[in-house]
Amino acid sequence: MKHPFIQCLAIYLLVVNPILAQEIKFGKVSKEELTQESYPLDPSASAAVLYRMHSISFEYIQSLGFRMITKVHERVKIYRQDGFKYATVSESLYKDGSDRETVNGLKAYTYNLENGAIKDFKLEKSGEFKTELNKYYDEEKFTMPNIKEGSVIEYQYQINSPFYWSMDQIVLQYDIPIKYEEVSLAVPEYFIFKPTSKGYLPLHPKYSASSGSINLVNKQQSREGINRTSIRTSNINYIINTTVFEMTGVPALQEEPYVNAMSNYRSALNYELQSVKFPNAVRKSFTTTWEKVVENIYRSDGFGDQLDNAKYFKDDLALIIEGKTGEAERMKAIFDHVQQQMSWNGLLGFTTDKGVKTAYKEKSGNTADINLMLIAMLREAGLDANPVLISTRDHGVPMFPTTKGFNYVVGAVNMEGETVFLDASNKFTKPNLLPTRALNWYGKLIKEDGTFSTVSVMPEKSSKKDIVCTVNIDDSGAVNGKLRTGYTDYNAYLFRNNYIDVTEESYLEKLESRHNGMEISTYNLKNIEEVGKPIIENYEFVVEDQVSVVGNKMYFSPLLHQTVTENPFKLEERSYPIDFSFPWEEKYMMSIMIPKGYRIESLPADVNLVLPNDGGNFLYKIVQQGNMLQLMVNLKMNQAIIPATDYQLIKELYKKVVEKETEKVVLTKSTSNGDQIGTTGGR
Amino acid sequence: MIQTIQTQMRFLLTVSLCFISLIVQSQAPIYQALLLDSELTDNANAIVRLDQMDIQINSVKEMTYTVRQVVTVLNKLGDKHARTSASYDKEKKIKNIELFVYDKVGKEITHIKKKDFQDVSIADGFSLYLDDRILRYRYTPVQYPYTIDFTYEVETSDTGVFPSWYFLSNYLVSVEKSRYNISYSDATLKPVVKEYNLSDINISKTEETGRLSYSADNIPAIKQESLSPEFNTINPHLALRLPNFYYKGHEASVNDWKDLGFWIDNNLLKGRGQLSEATINKAKDMVSGVADDLEKARIIYKYVQDNTRYVSVQIGIGGFQPISAIEVDRVKYGDCKGLSNYTKALLEAVGVTAYYTVIQAGNTKVDFDDDFADLIQGNHVILAIPYNGQYYWIDCTSQTHPFGFVGDFTDDRKALVITPNGGEIVRTVAYLNEQNYQKTTADYSISPDGNIKGVVHILTKGIQYDARFFLEKETKDDIVKHYKGYWDNINNLHLKKYIFQNDRETVEFLETVDFEAANYASISGDRILFSVNAFNKNTFVPSRYRNRKQALEISRGFHDDDEFSVSLPKGYTIEAIPDAKILETEFGYYKISVDYDIATNKIQYKRNFFLKQGVYTKEKYALYRTFRKGVASADNAQIVLVKSNL
Repeated sequence: MKHPFIQCLAIYLLVVNPILAQEIKFGKVSKEELTQESYPLDPSASAAVLYRMHSISFEYIQSLGFRMITKVHERVKIYRQDGFKYATVSESLYKDGSDRETVNGLKAYTYNLENGAIKDFKLEKSGEFKTELNKYYDEEKFTMPNIKEGSVIEYQYQINSPFYWSMDQIVLQYDIPIKYEEVSLAVPEYFIFKPTSKGYLPLHPKYSASSGSINLVNKQQSREGINRTSIRTSNINYIINTTVFEMTGVPALQEEPYVNAMSNYRSALNYELQSVKFPNAVRKSFTTTWEKVVENIYRSDGFGDQLDNAKYFKDDLALIIEGKTGEAERMKAIFDHVQQQMSWNGLLGFTTDKGVKTAYKEKSGNTADINLMLIAMLREAGLDANPVLISTRDHGVPMFPTTKGFNYVVGAVNMEGETVFLDASNKFTKPNLLPTRALNWYGKLIKEDGTFSTVSVMPEKSSKKDIVCTVNIDDSGAVNGKLRTGYTDYNAYLFRNNYIDVTEESYLEKLESRHNGMEISTYNLKNIEEVGKPIIENYEFVVEDQVSVVGNKMYFSPLLHQTVTENPFKLEERSYPIDFSFPWEEKYMMSIMIPKGYRIESLPADVNLVLPNDGGNFLYKIVQQGNMLQLMVNLKMNQAIIPATDYQLIKELYKKVVEKETEKVVLTKSTSNGDQIGTTGGR
Repeated sequence: MIQTIQTQMRFLLTVSLCFISLIVQSQAPIYQALLLDSELTDNANAIVRLDQMDIQINSVKEMTYTVRQVVTVLNKLGDKHARTSASYDKEKKIKNIELFVYDKVGKEITHIKKKDFQDVSIADGFSLYLDDRILRYRYTPVQYPYTIDFTYEVETSDTGVFPSWYFLSNYLVSVEKSRYNISYSDATLKPVVKEYNLSDINISKTEETGRLSYSADNIPAIKQESLSPEFNTINPHLALRLPNFYYKGHEASVNDWKDLGFWIDNNLLKGRGQLSEATINKAKDMVSGVADDLEKARIIYKYVQDNTRYVSVQIGIGGFQPISAIEVDRVKYGDCKGLSNYTKALLEAVGVTAYYTVIQAGNTKVDFDDDFADLIQGNHVILAIPYNGQYYWIDCTSQTHPFGFVGDFTDDRKALVITPNGGEIVRTVAYLNEQNYQKTTADYSISPDGNIKGVVHILTKGIQYDARFFLEKETKDDIVKHYKGYWDNINNLHLKKYIFQNDRETVEFLETVDFEAANYASISGDRILFSVNAFNKNTFVPSRYRNRKQALEISRGFHDDDEFSVSLPKGYTIEAIPDAKILETEFGYYKISVDYDIATNKIQYKRNFFLKQGVYTKEKYALYRTFRKGVASADNAQIVLVKSNL
């Protein structure tokens, strides 16, 4: 499957960029900017960034070493009231012990047009707010004075960070449009950062080099013992490599439904430190290639080493696999044990939170604690088990080698050439059924020798929902029936995860009210606890408003209350893929007893719609068999993710589904000898 | 108690290690969760085994309290009820804090000390700034049931906001033991207590000199039911206040709302209403030539709406004191207090009286208690403008509401109005039943292939206006989304044009929508079937309760009046048409009529749905459900057309 939003920076190296730098002077706000009533490229925008400068550089301070400086300068136009929120700016500042990021040199003004003249209003200290959020983060916010529709605000500040090795993601796209932005990085030759990017916007980096120097001051006590200090200074010159991204007319990131995480589609840059080489020192390498990334992760604390320790579970393991000879049997036993014993503490990660040993003792841990322990046990039991690095759905898809690209780890067992994925951090997973959060294209499977391979983690097997329903209709049009639903794989997984959060009673209340007044009598669930098996749900129901009885006729959609009446895809167009998480199939078998004295006047026509490339289909088939109506409806999506280019196709398919399913069966009352009673017509 | 058991245990341990297992078994663990009374487990996700607060009032400026909360969590849904955090601020210090987790047999799983708690800001993601912080611990349950035993001790100089006492903390939580003890060093420090909903639970109360205690045992869990009164109107609880208190540096002596009003005026508002000479002159200029006070107020309110914005900044005397009018005038933003105080100052500058009014805002109407004056009630500030013997209410945090219209955020509830004569409890304006009016008229045609097109007008008043007039400020995308959601029964809806008319004087909003939609009707062979009520379908059916426990509350009434005219395609005759229907109940009525006019080939559909606000006994719930089922079914009624054989 080709990735729909893969981008490669290398391509843009060849592009000659015509845009010239548009540096503006702070405070030189024009009347034109103030009088503008809407953003020409997107008149619905409540605010727009007219100018943005975001530059990162490195500064050497002798006593402190290198520090990273991020200079921010933005000019924002507020068009309407709902854009007032952009007059408040916030920065999260990381801290670790006494090392902390700080905001310096904040200067900010609001500009308004008053009686044709530009008036400015300075941000005072009372408009700045600092909060200690927690042990690792402080927050600095400021909110601008005198904001009204039409205001222009401008601010600049810089963030000083001692954490030069860890650069935050640089966002290139906001929730409001950006008219012009310039993002630059000036990196001393000592540091090699690996750039990666994501999103749909084309990037045109420009490269240049300049020079910088470090002044070192050395104090030396003279040896003669007399109190004399000589000061020696030395100069070290180095090259600064600069990358500049200039962009104009950046559109706002628009929220769209049925997208897992909008942040996946926001254009942004990521810079990860690959290596450091200081003068007279050995090059220290971090990450470069996938091999290096994997090796680094494998070697890092809380990953590889966690796979080697087998002492803490040895005794338990012996009991678990006692008498179990087959590989599959052993795998299942170990998986069940870890899944039952361990509770997930809600934290993601591919490195351990407390370490497998402590986690095992405390019976809780993050995803790495749980899954690395699982892998260690499987290996100890003689299975070919390996970790698979994954980026969860909300975390985006890693397209370039970087450790930051991952945030999750699961296990994989190679069993007779087949890969079986395992994740014990959720109570309702099973072998080859990962939690939905982990279903994000590919993972990197790391073998014991440190080599790796890329594996697809997307499920291929269709998750099913099979509904068998038998109903009777009485003279008043009330319907009573029995319904049996089988849920397999992900449908069962989702059912269980939802069901655990409610009581049966409130589940039924919700089910009843979802179908506007359906009343459920007997209800039972099978296999809700037995995770490996499909869930079977049985209930009896009464619905009163599905059949219209008018005169001597009955009209109803034969799927009754289960009819799809609404197309979930409402937007005219869509730019992001439709993400169903897994392939699925929903199948209805309805048997409707034709009420005594009625005969069929008309039935909807059968239909079978097939998506191109075996993407899925919709089948609708209705027949009369004696005094029964038999209906089969099948809706199937064979792909978990459907590219945005196929949106119209899916929307059209759903439109057909709604049309067909809402079509009516018409029954007419007959006399006992089969003669039709005269129709009444309009009254 | 704990002390002695621990000593005993230690003693036993030293006596004989051999018997340890035996002893542990015979010595019943304190908080085992294996054998629990079914009275407490019914409908419960968690059981509060012990909820205890011991308050010691040492002086007007010094109070300490110890809290112990032991909660047994029975399942995942109960996790949120295990208390593991305590808040503090500048005046309120946490002295000791610790937490134990026990497994189901009562064995200790973990012991958390003060240093293990996270110290975080109560960043609510909304306020620009909040003073308060919390110490918290996040526990990952490894099995159910488990028990958390949480203790902390607080010392504070604030006696003005007195901890109230809730015997039940939430739905689906039962309480085994609830203990509330207050001791005070002299009679002037004796708190005034008001009891709420105590009649149905087993409570004992003891009162002696310098001491007051409440204790309750075995309170079963309550289930939440839809359309029931708000939790705190049924939850047994106590409100307490000290007549003489100290709050954030201010002393007070308060017996009633009048006193508290004076105190707020003198301590929190005094000196905050000054404005610069320039601003005063500007305000005067704005109203020059206007004689009527209400008209002046309208102009000033409009100015504030157009020139300020709402920003939540909870600074200054525990979030009770407004930012000064001068500062708001300079920066043109503020929270509800700051903006109200500023508007009040501007009004005063032009000779219009306005009173600062503290209120409990929110969609649910919550009254101030007439005879219990304390600082805890209320979460919002608005202004009351006296004019010709009545009050006009304005919410200065809204940039869009018409003058004198406060919508469902602060309507119809008792609030504290601070006048020069002290505080006074007054009910705000109510928008009742037929005042919440909506008139929908539609003229649409249906084609042989089931497409519809036409024009719809929707006129709204009262609370229905409040739910609609925001559309005027929305972007096109959001307006399209709104209609696709509002008319989710119409697939493939396409808006050709829309016009909004917002009459701020009469508080009426008129929407005119020109639309078309493909395949609205379904085609079955020779027939066209469609639901005639396309534009105001109300298919809500209240949940069914096999055994309803709580009263039925319809919190807001309304009147919807609809008239649709439908042009039918040529060459079809009507096979079926819904009957006229009248449902007349004590909750309101529903009436429809459907008539076909042969001459114009049009159907005239009229619908009136009126619902009354009110509280009804639980027995009425099923009747109400039947009524709504009737409405839902009638709103779905289909018209069937069949191709004529001519």
